[in-house]
Amino acid sequence: MSSRPLTETRFRLATIDLARPLPSITLANDETGVGLTIRLDGQPIGFLLRDLPPGAMLAPDAVGRLLGPGERLALLEERIRRELWVTAGPPAAVPSLTAVVCTHDRPVLLARCLESLVVLRARGVERTPALEILVVDNAPSDGATRNVAARFPDVRYLCEPISGLDFARNRALQEATGDFVAYFDDDVTVDPGWLEGFVEACSAHPDAAAVTGPVLPLELATRAQVEFERLGGFRHDFRKTRFGVTLAGNETYPCGAGIFGAGCNMALRRDAVRSIGGFDEALDTGARLPGGGDLDIFYRLVRAGYVIVSEPRCLVLHQHRRTHEELRRQLWTWGLGFMAFLAKSYRADPTQRGKFRQLLAWWFVSKARLLAGRIVGREAPTVDLILAELAGGAVGLCGEYGRSCRRIERRRRAPTRQRVLGSGGA
Amino acid sequence: MVPDDADLAGLQLVFWLDGLPLGRCEVAADDLPLSTATLASLASEAVAPAIGYRLFARGFEAPMPALEPELRPPSDATALLACEHPLAAVRERLAGTDVALEAGGSAAEVSVVVCTRDRPEALARCLESLRAAQPRPREILVVDNAPTSDATHRSVAAMPDVRYVRESRPGLSIARNTGVRETTGAIIAFTDDDAVVDPHWIARLAGPFTARDVMAVTGIVFPGALESEAQRMAEDRLWGFAQEFRRRVFDGRYFARMRGRGVPVWHIGAGANMAIRREAFSRVGLFDERLGAGAAGCSEDSELWYRLLAEGWRCVYEPAAAVSHFHRDDLDSLRAQWHAYMRGHVVALLVQFARYRDWGNLRRIALQLPFFYLVWLHDVFRRGVRTEGLLWWAAVSGSAAGVGFYLRHRGTPPVA
Repeated sequence: MSSRPLTETRFRLATIDLARPLPSITLANDETGVGLTIRLDGQPIGFLLRDLPPGAMLAPDAVGRLLGPGERLALLEERIRRELWVTAGPPAAVPSLTAVVCTHDRPVLLARCLESLVVLRARGVERTPALEILVVDNAPSDGATRNVAARFPDVRYLCEPISGLDFARNRALQEATGDFVAYFDDDVTVDPGWLEGFVEACSAHPDAAAVTGPVLPLELATRAQVEFERLGGFRHDFRKTRFGVTLAGNETYPCGAGIFGAGCNMALRRDAVRSIGGFDEALDTGARLPGGGDLDIFYRLVRAGYVIVSEPRCLVLHQHRRTHEELRRQLWTWGLGFMAFLAKSYRADPTQRGKFRQLLAWWFVSKARLLAGRIVGREAPTVDLILAELAGGAVGLCGEYGRSCRRIERRRRAPTRQRVLGSGGA
Repeated sequence: MVPDDADLAGLQLVFWLDGLPLGRCEVAADDLPLSTATLASLASEAVAPAIGYRLFARGFEAPMPALEPELRPPSDATALLACEHPLAAVRERLAGTDVALEAGGSAAEVSVVVCTRDRPEALARCLESLRAAQPRPREILVVDNAPTSDATHRSVAAMPDVRYVRESRPGLSIARNTGVRETTGAIIAFTDDDAVVDPHWIARLAGPFTARDVMAVTGIVFPGALESEAQRMAEDRLWGFAQEFRRRVFDGRYFARMRGRGVPVWHIGAGANMAIRREAFSRVGLFDERLGAGAAGCSEDSELWYRLLAEGWRCVYEPAAAVSHFHRDDLDSLRAQWHAYMRGHVVALLVQFARYRDWGNLRRIALQLPFFYLVWLHDVFRRGVRTEGLLWWAAVSGSAAGVGFYLRHRGTPPVA
């Protein structure tokens, strides 16, 4: 509601490691809460948001009391897991890895992302092949991205002229040399422990075709960024999960593909992705249908019998949208991308239609409930966000995928542009 | 873990620590073999709540059935943070003292009653497990309920430490009441003839009775086998509600909070794994003979718990006391059983209403059950009319039959 006073919202981001004595946390006078990343020996096990009065001072025991039932259970669970299973050393052959950043006209963000990748490469992990870093410049309007990439030693640069994220991703699939391709969005930074997590996941699951991880905020400096985290954020799953043919207790598995991971942080086995035809270029096309490609690739991998592993140490931090308008557009995108994926898969995979129908009903009912809750709770400023997601979903259901297929066909045929890979098994 | 069976649909894994059940999970055959890393993740996820409850209690309590968990101010995290090896800590606590014995439960006070009818082989398996229990109970009594042959008698006669009583009037409640009269222990433990008990069962079931106001204790029921579709369905729908590995205490406060909506006493446990203090029967009466197998159906156990809670006593669910139950393995008898269950359930609700005028019982019949059947009907079309639909009909017709049964037996005194 516009009458509501727009108090500045700004959260302190802090990290505590439960294996060490708790610190005290003091907020600045313009900070209205804390976003707390909880780790155990470096491994992320939880994330929580708490409103606090500006300038609040939390002594170590007060920081301990911030931990809710979920965080406490996660701590216990992780300690039990370590009691039961001592990490085996890396296997004889750890897969080689190419880190890929697909980007379009965002040189400043790209530079920050590459810096974190260079740190990752410098740290390395024992007995692992060196990390290859590859930038795919997607339909650039100037040379800024190329110049940024040139500033970093040993960063390969490629230009993919056809506009569309999945054209760029497929190009990387062809050009990368690693066994795995780790895709990062240009608006993330990669946690220094990412590579250790990847090696551990591959050691524990030598058959994994994909490794995914959590996504936490890089900053919580605006109301929109905090609101995005309140709505569930990108991906707060800190369990080590092996996603196979089934998932106990999940009736719509594997159709609710959001559980597998997020496209801004996914490492995929190159030959597995190529064997199923690569990314579907009709998804993630930019303005009109800017999402769904990650859901689609996860879903098709699992349906083809491949295993996806989620590993909490494969953490990235994401720069959330700062303004409310951008956030609204992002949520519209999510609704649209999810429903486009659903509409495509419903047609392409007839045996799973019952689950997709169930998922469709669940999605609309849960969004409607959320909406009702927000209206009753008079949290009007966020109502439009949920409405945007619903509207995006409606558009996605009403043939957007088909329209997108026709649009990209025109892009492919445009002169001097060459086709990259197959059409993505649509 | 590697599957050794071609038509295996999956595994149900139960995780134990030094004889204590702590959690379970299911793995589909398609996802076998399981690596140790995956097993460690599954196990830690499954056992963490029970481990937390054993070590710290507060903050790790099991939610009470049909109630939103209470929001309590967060407690100090120091002890939790200091506990680096939770499994070792639980083992340390268990070492030397058994869970039940640490609470001072006394097996010498426990009489075990097994009611049976024409199932000598199953009964023999059950009695073997009881005779192997440590410590030994005060006595084991078999109540042979309206048998059609002397096979049961002959089989029991071969076991010198098992007593045999014949009750010629059919009905599980009648047989159980006979068991109560024929035994002498201060605590009477009941199990079914198609179940086998864990070696620690008696001691652990006796444990919570050290608190004076605890009148009934129930335990966890595992499936003895999940070989057939019928057994898997029975586990999923009829028995699977006892998935909790943390103790729950049902008391007058819980009863008061749930009274208006109908107190879900069936969540307390199952008659195949329960113990009742003898004093309880003199305070609130014996099992209602209109209920139970052979009469209305089931619910003779939960209706007794209802009376106990209504009178201010406590019932405890103690998952350390484990029994494995062999569910029916053909769909016809599963349907018949379900029909009887729902009939018994409705009769019990009417009996409870008649006794205490708690409108929640009628509300359950008039609102919750029809809604449940409507939602389930949607599932029927999804899962297939042939098995699911017949099951649905068995339940719906059973519920309707319950109303008729109650009206016909309204005048019958609850205990003959």
